[in-house]
Amino acid sequence: MQLVATGDASAFEIVLERHEDAAFSLAYRMCGTRAAAEDVAQESFLAIWRAGARYDRTRGSVRSWTLGIVHNRSIDALRRSSVHDRRRINDDGLAEELEAPDRTDLQAIDNAASSEIRVALGELPSDQRRVVELAYFGGFTHTEIATMLNTPIGTVKGRMRLALEKLRGQLGDWQAVRA
Amino acid sequence: MSATDGNLDCGRVLDAAPYVLGALEDGDSYREHLEECATCRAEVAQLQPAVDTLPTSVPQVAAPEALRARVLTTVRSEAELLRAAGSGVDQRPRRNARWRMPRVSLAGAGAALAAAVAASVAIAVSLNVTSHERVTVAQVHNLPGTSAALHQVGDRAELVVSGMPEPPLGKVYEVWLRRGSTTVAPTDALFSVTSRGSGSVAVPGNLHGVREVLVTSEPLGGSSHPTSEPVLRVALSA
Repeated sequence: MQLVATGDASAFEIVLERHEDAAFSLAYRMCGTRAAAEDVAQESFLAIWRAGARYDRTRGSVRSWTLGIVHNRSIDALRRSSVHDRRRINDDGLAEELEAPDRTDLQAIDNAASSEIRVALGELPSDQRRVVELAYFGGFTHTEIATMLNTPIGTVKGRMRLALEKLRGQLGDWQAVRA
Repeated sequence: MSATDGNLDCGRVLDAAPYVLGALEDGDSYREHLEECATCRAEVAQLQPAVDTLPTSVPQVAAPEALRARVLTTVRSEAELLRAAGSGVDQRPRRNARWRMPRVSLAGAGAALAAAVAASVAIAVSLNVTSHERVTVAQVHNLPGTSAALHQVGDRAELVVSGMPEPPLGKVYEVWLRRGSTTVAPTDALFSVTSRGSGSVAVPGNLHGVREVLVTSEPLGGSSHPTSEPVLRVALSA
């Protein structure tokens, strides 16, 4: 990323190659359509190219930073969409909708990790998993979630915290390995 | 120390979870709070790794090849521009260019203004404009189906386009700033659009005193003088 910050297009190409699938996958999961995901991913990578100097390695991996930007851009897209279709937030079947050519061998490792984390999410109590999914993948605010679930705001925040604590405990050093 | 361990000595520590999930409505305020609250900083640090794993829970699919091609087209153009700027890269925008603005017929201007006003209403409704965000709709020239608007929040400005055709082969869109009646300054903001015609670009520099933000189609790497008529114009009040 230091080279990217100096305007090295070749260095950026490596970053793009390493993270484009994960970025596109996250945007697709959140936005619900390939076209919207493509828009978000393109905007995100150009933002990364232009903001490379802001990357701080002490605060996390390039992958986490990249996916954080994709997440924020996806939320922006969701919130300004006139056809805000957030019903897909609980749709775990997107991968099955894809045709075989959309998958690559190189994704095998990522898919294994993906499966492991989905299992961890699945083991959360449903009320905790739901607030995390609504917040992270659906782009809803804590107030919106409280209204939607007819639950006090404090309870929603508490469920979010409990869910993240459990996930962290279950996944251990997974993040460090990935970085 | 995590809140789960019973350390709730800050009234805002429960905001940490929605904050790291991107769901806290007053996130900016909490970000400022983190500067001075060790308890909340520790809580955020504790919870963030779990959030960082969430993107990987998503089924992994391959990004379209066209995506990479479009991103790299813009990146290489901008890299070329940076190289050309050399040691003067910090002196943005580049020196002013003289450019005579094309004349617009009164009837054409009226129609464009009416379209802009109509579009402004539509966009103001659809974009969830906050009290801190100012959205100015662009006038579009010779690009049917294109819409564009400049989003300003504080000192930051971003041009967002949709329905815009990709620039011609070997070309890239370039953003210009006009301060006087005819003086147009190039910027290092170059961009392309997706296959669906959407895109965005940060408009660099301070817009104080800028009367118009313009977009033209220029050779890869950008130009120091416009070589084509503007396709987008965003008129700004002084």
